[in-house]
Amino acid sequence: MEHHLLEVDGMRVSRREDLRLMTGAGKYASDWNLPDQLHAFFLRADRAHAKIVSVNVERALKHPGVVRIYTGADAVGAGYTRPLTMLTFKGKDGMQVRQPERPVLAHGRVRCVGEPVAMVVAESALIAQDASELIEVEYEELPVVIDPEAALAPGAPQLHDNVPGNLPFEFEAGDAAATEAAFAKAAHVTRLKLAVTRVAPSPMEPRACLAAYDPRDERYTVHVHVQGVNMMRKQLAAYMNMPEDKIRVMARDVGGAFGQRSLGYPEYCMQMLAAKEIGRPVKWVSTRSEGFATDSHGRANYVKGELALDAAGNFLGLRVDWIADMGAYLTPTGPVSHLRNPSTCLTGVYRIPALYGRWRTVLTNTNPIAAYRGAGRPDVAYVIERLVTQAAVDTGVDAAELRRRNFIPPEAFPYKTPTGSTYENADLPGLLDKALKLGDWQGFAGRRSASGKAGKLRGIGISTVIENTGAGLFPKDQIEMHVAADGTVTAYTVCHSQGQGHETSFAMIIAETLGIAFDRVRVRQGDEDHPLIGNHAGGSRSTVGAGSACHVTAKKLIEEGKALAALELGVEPSQMAYANGAFRTAESKRSITLADLAKAKKFVVTAEGSFSSTFPNGCHIAEVEIDPATGVTQIASYITVDDCGRVINHAIVEGQMHGGVAQGAGQVFGEEVVYDRATGQLLTGSFADYYMPRAGLVGEISMEEHPTPSKVSPLGVKGMGESGCTASLPALTTAALDALRPLGVQHLDMPLTPSKVWSAIVAAKAGR
Amino acid sequence: MTTVKINVNGKRHVHEVEDRTLLVNFLRDTLGLTGTHIGCDTSQCGACTVNVNGRAVKSCTMLAVQAQGAKVLTIEAMARKGKLHPIQQAFTECHGLQCGFCTPGMIMATAGLLEDNPDPSDDEIIHGLEGNLCRCTGYVNIVRAVKRAAELQRGAQ
Repeated sequence: MEHHLLEVDGMRVSRREDLRLMTGAGKYASDWNLPDQLHAFFLRADRAHAKIVSVNVERALKHPGVVRIYTGADAVGAGYTRPLTMLTFKGKDGMQVRQPERPVLAHGRVRCVGEPVAMVVAESALIAQDASELIEVEYEELPVVIDPEAALAPGAPQLHDNVPGNLPFEFEAGDAAATEAAFAKAAHVTRLKLAVTRVAPSPMEPRACLAAYDPRDERYTVHVHVQGVNMMRKQLAAYMNMPEDKIRVMARDVGGAFGQRSLGYPEYCMQMLAAKEIGRPVKWVSTRSEGFATDSHGRANYVKGELALDAAGNFLGLRVDWIADMGAYLTPTGPVSHLRNPSTCLTGVYRIPALYGRWRTVLTNTNPIAAYRGAGRPDVAYVIERLVTQAAVDTGVDAAELRRRNFIPPEAFPYKTPTGSTYENADLPGLLDKALKLGDWQGFAGRRSASGKAGKLRGIGISTVIENTGAGLFPKDQIEMHVAADGTVTAYTVCHSQGQGHETSFAMIIAETLGIAFDRVRVRQGDEDHPLIGNHAGGSRSTVGAGSACHVTAKKLIEEGKALAALELGVEPSQMAYANGAFRTAESKRSITLADLAKAKKFVVTAEGSFSSTFPNGCHIAEVEIDPATGVTQIASYITVDDCGRVINHAIVEGQMHGGVAQGAGQVFGEEVVYDRATGQLLTGSFADYYMPRAGLVGEISMEEHPTPSKVSPLGVKGMGESGCTASLPALTTAALDALRPLGVQHLDMPLTPSKVWSAIVAAKAGR
Repeated sequence: MTTVKINVNGKRHVHEVEDRTLLVNFLRDTLGLTGTHIGCDTSQCGACTVNVNGRAVKSCTMLAVQAQGAKVLTIEAMARKGKLHPIQQAFTECHGLQCGFCTPGMIMATAGLLEDNPDPSDDEIIHGLEGNLCRCTGYVNIVRAVKRAAELQRGAQ
């Protein structure tokens, strides 16, 4: 689709949303205010595991300006103890999830640092914070368990009475016996134990929420950041045991999300309760420090992986033993993401006859885990790709060649995997060829030697990955489309952009389908006056789901318009033709425009579609240079060849890829949430302690497309918002290990910080 | 409480503020200029960058009372009379923003950077933006945008 700079109010912009976002007119969650609003502050647990003996709020209540203070007893009294679970399927041996209770304010026990213990409501945010310091909480400390493997061991501290062994859910996929047999006849087995580290998603907008209650219609209005209003409303209603139609969720601009902002957090429920009981709106704006402790973390998967090969280098079987740290409680998205997505893509891009995986979710005294950009897909890709590259090293085969030998061939698609998913289509050899050329794979030896002369260690890494995207929590995606009397078309969607530019790309889809100018199309997201069924923006599903539904609805608009125009012209609808915003009959020269129809009577169409998973895939090649004197790694080059089907807006797709690769690079080279193992204190509680990617971490990225259009969507698109994360974790890590391998370093877990790399170099040299 | 007189975006404001009020909270809460964002509480992220007396300053690093008598420019003052500032023009042309939350701070930091160095190299841009965090773009297009902004400001089209 062609995309030029757009004229908006006489100014040239590349996306519709840019104008307001660049001029300070964006409206994010903390920018909402209501008359007479109060402010909340949450007093949080300063220890990781303790009995709450007492909470004394007397002095705090006397602080001038304090209106009310809530504690865990109020949360339990209101019945706000059970968050939504998406674990509705059975696990290993028919296991049902053991869902721990999580009162929205801690009651009786705190289980991780940062858990809210009391909520102070006051006339200003500062007053509420001052008063919170007067609350006296008496704790009785309990033993702490941070490491998920330790939490599974006999005798470990237990977090919840109804979750014996700290094991809320165990799951398996594949065929254990067939895989055992495959390994028995293997000529070679590669084994790795890998950590996909715990990271903080860290969208730049801190959490914020403004809750109000209107007693006249007994409804709550909640201004909060979302990935989709429906997902947020469903979770809040479930937590608060109330019908969904009691809650209006309001959001406009969302300052990044990455999965972390899809959750209905406990704090919001308390604010809603207070707004109702006090009769005034209650606003809360999180600090970044609170965010590090309490905004859901991502990844935290610890995996033993094994790959069996025959003497010719053909893959025979793959087996994983997967421990998914869930933190102290189960979030709606965390467990399901880290079980389902890895099992769906357990075969990677390879034909592997036998697969088996066992997943154990584990509770620890840490902040809960939820979906984070990729949600288990980068994790499983990392495991598979690390195994494949290690197997190439072990057997002395070129890493690209070993991949090619084992690719699912193009003619095998649609390909049913041994864990029961069906990959739609891909051209993996074509993808690889393009990538090897773009990355000049053959010329690497020369570049390595040049780096070596400059005293640097150079390495090359490759990943070939596939992931499932597109399916969602809701069964279908609806779009409501209005034509105004001036011919402007407005589409309503409940799929909410957090930076992906839906107002632009959805409008491009509609403009193209209707054959009208882009500036005649508007897209409105999450407008609660236009309630619709549909999914949130997550799992790379927006364009596949809501985007395709935009196309389907525009088609329906044309069909309904034909009927209306035919009536007007006194002909049969079948005689009508439509092009570029106007209906014509073949015979007469008369025509009727969309605007004409809308002038005559209200012209509104709603349509929907159910769109299942698409399978974007790609090959990324990274080269790095390590300075052995400092352990600092530089990304020397990064190339991508991706198949995300048909591309709607190339600039947006490139931008998504940049961001995903940078988040992957952040995790590989520095990001890690660290808790003190003895006390459970959070050691990376601010941007001063937590590594964030900065300008220059990732330089130019060379990109090419290799599309095989999807038939899941009438647009031919595949989801691609997470591809950058998925492919970059293994590409960058294998590149760094390739640089270090000549020194004898075989394995390092991320993050590959200068200190870790330098220490590995020193140790390797000393070992010689 | 202290009375502060601060010129913001060409307009004189006189307000009583609590002594501990940060400049960023004065701009956002007292004046309602919510284009300046708060992304952290440790002065690392740069989302709150504004211009104080000609210098790019993180407005969470100073108290409102320290801006007594100062001239402050915020993102709201960058586009004039329906025309984008060249830095804004460059950011949109290069797709240098996604969610937009860091963008006002990035633009104000870029203005300060280009004031000091109208023709920065890539390395100088990377160094100049070290104090501004973005989670969406990977900075690739932001670095491009700053280069393009420098071009536009120097008059090359």
